[in-house]
Amino acid sequence: MKILVAVKQVASLDEDFEMRVDKKDVEEDFLLYDLNEWDDFSLEEAMKIKESSDTEIEVVVVSVGPVRVDESLRKCLAKGADRAIRVWDETIEGSDSIVIGRILAAVAKKEVPDMVFAGVQSSDQAYSSTGISTAAYLDWPHAAVVADLQYKPGSSSAVIRRELEGGMLQEVEINCPAVLTIQLGINKPRYASLRGIKQAAAKPIEEISLADIGLSPADVGAGSSMSRVRRMYIPAKSRAQMIEGTIVEQVAKLIQIINEFKGA
Amino acid sequence: MNNPKEVTRILFENFHPQAIHLFYAFGYAAIAVFIYGCYVQIRKYRRGKPDGSWGELLHRFIDMVKTMVTHRTLVRRDKSAGRAHGLIFLGFVLLFIGTSIITLEYDIIEPLIGVRFWYGNFYLWFSLVLDLAGLGLIGGLIYMMYRRKWLHLPKLDYKRVDRQLGDADFDRSEYRLEDWAFLWSFILIGVTGFILEATRLVWLSGRPSVWDYRMWSPVGALIANIMQTIGVTPEGAGALRSGLWWFHGLLSLTFIAFIPYTKIKHIFTAAASLMFKDPLAGRRLPRVPDEQKVAGYKTITDLTWKNLLHLDACTKCGRCQEACPANAVGAPLSPRDVILSLREFANHTLNAKELPKEAELDIHGKDIGQVFMETLWSCRTCLACVEICPVAIEHVPLIVQMRRNLVEAGEMDPLLEKTLQTIHKTGNSFGESKRKRASWVKALPFEIKDARIEAVDYLWFVGDYASFDPRNQKVTQGFARIMQKAGVDFGLLFEGELNAGNDIRRVGEEGLYEYLATANIQSLDDCEFKSIVTTDPHSYNTIRNEYPDFGGTYEIQHYSTVVKKLIEDGRLQLAKKLNYKVTFHDPCHLGRFNKGYDAPRDILKMLGCELIEMGRTKDNSFCCGAGGGRIWIPDPVGTEKPSQNRMKEAAIIEGLEVFVVSCPKDLTMFEDALKTSGYEGKFIVRELIELIDECMEYDFPEKEVFADVLSLEPHLAS
Repeated sequence: MKILVAVKQVASLDEDFEMRVDKKDVEEDFLLYDLNEWDDFSLEEAMKIKESSDTEIEVVVVSVGPVRVDESLRKCLAKGADRAIRVWDETIEGSDSIVIGRILAAVAKKEVPDMVFAGVQSSDQAYSSTGISTAAYLDWPHAAVVADLQYKPGSSSAVIRRELEGGMLQEVEINCPAVLTIQLGINKPRYASLRGIKQAAAKPIEEISLADIGLSPADVGAGSSMSRVRRMYIPAKSRAQMIEGTIVEQVAKLIQIINEFKGA
Repeated sequence: MNNPKEVTRILFENFHPQAIHLFYAFGYAAIAVFIYGCYVQIRKYRRGKPDGSWGELLHRFIDMVKTMVTHRTLVRRDKSAGRAHGLIFLGFVLLFIGTSIITLEYDIIEPLIGVRFWYGNFYLWFSLVLDLAGLGLIGGLIYMMYRRKWLHLPKLDYKRVDRQLGDADFDRSEYRLEDWAFLWSFILIGVTGFILEATRLVWLSGRPSVWDYRMWSPVGALIANIMQTIGVTPEGAGALRSGLWWFHGLLSLTFIAFIPYTKIKHIFTAAASLMFKDPLAGRRLPRVPDEQKVAGYKTITDLTWKNLLHLDACTKCGRCQEACPANAVGAPLSPRDVILSLREFANHTLNAKELPKEAELDIHGKDIGQVFMETLWSCRTCLACVEICPVAIEHVPLIVQMRRNLVEAGEMDPLLEKTLQTIHKTGNSFGESKRKRASWVKALPFEIKDARIEAVDYLWFVGDYASFDPRNQKVTQGFARIMQKAGVDFGLLFEGELNAGNDIRRVGEEGLYEYLATANIQSLDDCEFKSIVTTDPHSYNTIRNEYPDFGGTYEIQHYSTVVKKLIEDGRLQLAKKLNYKVTFHDPCHLGRFNKGYDAPRDILKMLGCELIEMGRTKDNSFCCGAGGGRIWIPDPVGTEKPSQNRMKEAAIIEGLEVFVVSCPKDLTMFEDALKTSGYEGKFIVRELIELIDECMEYDFPEKEVFADVLSLEPHLAS
């Protein structure tokens, strides 16, 4: 019995950041990396199943990314994951979330898990499609925004509750194996103490290449993606102004602004 | 003098040989019971983990003897009880030595080599000293009885704050019973001893070698006189004596046999506890060995033998509870109850022949003898308990060890958990960018050196609160101006500085502490400087006392010492005098932790302030409530905070103008408490630096941004 948890190391902005020269992203020096918040919850959900089960359950975390991602994977190992896999090849740079899904599906085919968990979305890119595209490439059932999970390891289906708009919940029975994207608040993620993280350094992180999962550079990267980032920027701030005075004064001021705007 | 050989005390006169044998049988039985009890206790201690406190045994022993002889720790904050205990202690020691001398002659030296010495002048002086010792003993015991019965001291009712009525271990009446049994049996031994002496005198009043020397045992002689006056005959006295002799003898032997099983054991455990005392307890917390699987204490056998010994040393005096700021505001923590709970737990599990299963040794939880999570998280690690404990119990290291286990299990306040993650990510508790650490320098009209690039005399370790908190940034800028004005060569680590880790270690996140400490040590080692200076007592403590364990040994000074010297040396001229009426709050980490009581007070005097001390001052200073990571844990709503409690104390001072602090966290805590406790407008809270700053005349070239220094939030203004 195995659960594969797909995780991502996300970036957050430091103060006074600068854009990259190609304007497609923020300069890496100004980014702070950490494990995606949603992934804390999906890992915790897997750990809960592992810890409450009588049978042996292996929790494997997988991520696509460069060496810096090891730090986040180690955090997952500290929280109790049995193994960690990191897929990387220079050619993966620039892949969109659908391609990442393709890579994760290839890992899943190799690992043959009984369940795949992913976060609903990543806090930096927020495409909300990595988990779903993984399911598509695997041709497995999927459910998004899972807020509750009842699953007995080894059984052929699971009952989940999905979070909908307006505080509604949808209860769904889903065939297994399946890909679930886990919503925040489904559980209380445990704390990974720094000592735990340090001790997890002894657990190996498996580095695998595209060839290991039967993919080639032609399957990944910006060229194989169906979407590409053109630029990233901060929109100019819109201005608002309260016009004071009597009605007549306000109208006069308004006309003046319109004229200025037309003139400009 | 009669034949000096005859001037001695009769021992077994008129005793049937069988009676003497019977008495010796009782004596041996008592000693056997005593030895077995000691064996069980020692076996208990040996079930704890090893501890490295065996070094410098002679030095430790001398220190312990000094403390015991002077009763230094016992008279503090409770003079009468300490002195009464001194009388009991002295009486007991002298009477014990006296009895040992008799045994030495009668049972050892005389039978072996036929030499006697217990007669004549030696006996007479012996007799006098022991009479006075007995008198002191009884006097001390009577005061203790009076104190328990009539003084109604809250600390002696053993009411628990961590348990409710109805909980299995709420009731502590057994302790009271034991206290009284101890007092009564002890006083009975003393009183019957005197009566016994008197009956012997009356009984042998016809024998000059006894009667002529009766005034060498004045108390006995006085009682003998009274007996004669009320018509007791020598024969009557003799009959009374034989009955009383057995009562006194058997009670004394029972008392000895009971020592290892009851509170009387403190005569050994308290002494041993004092002997193995760690002078840096709480100031320098123990490291967690890398190979240790689980951090901190989870089971009773995770405690070291020294911890277990400390538990047994507690005499329930309650001084720790009185000093505890958490206890004072109704938090479910009494340092004494933590110790007593663990002691009960240890006695329950570790006194048995076989060690119970691992699961039964867990000290965390809600069951009998277990310590509640809420109790452990209530602690401010202010060290008030450790500092006042007369028998050197180290509560705070024990509490932190238990917290380490809670942290590892994630059993903590969600906000605290968030803060720890933030500190790991950004290196500061404010979650600000590393780059912004020294943004406060922008508002200064001069440049500050980067100690990472050039050598400086003083490396200023600023600390989180002084760097990021807008209100404290004002103070930080003030200190920069003072240093600049005095022409001190100083520099900063800028973004190379991380949170020093003092409070993170006291929370119990040892891994994060190690990360911060080693990173800071790395940065400091790469710089060239003569001394570190800081305005943050928390950073001061950990760099001074704890970094050496990680290979970072530096000279570090609190700013008060540096500024005091600058003024004394004339490098810093005071342009004016302040005639404020002030009081000074000793920060725990400067005062109690590192004995920095004088420099801030000396500076206040130099500034011309009139210093009025609060009731709780210096070593008894009352924690602001921010220590031990509590600044990141919200206090329960609707209850008094320690800082508000402190404001009430300060407000008693007639005409108080300024409540002076010298710690960034104190400034934050007390300015808040001033408002919430309703004393706003009555007096103000100021950092000592601000008062010094006020006395300065600066001639820096005025810059536009300089005005920002005066605004509350310079980073918003810029």
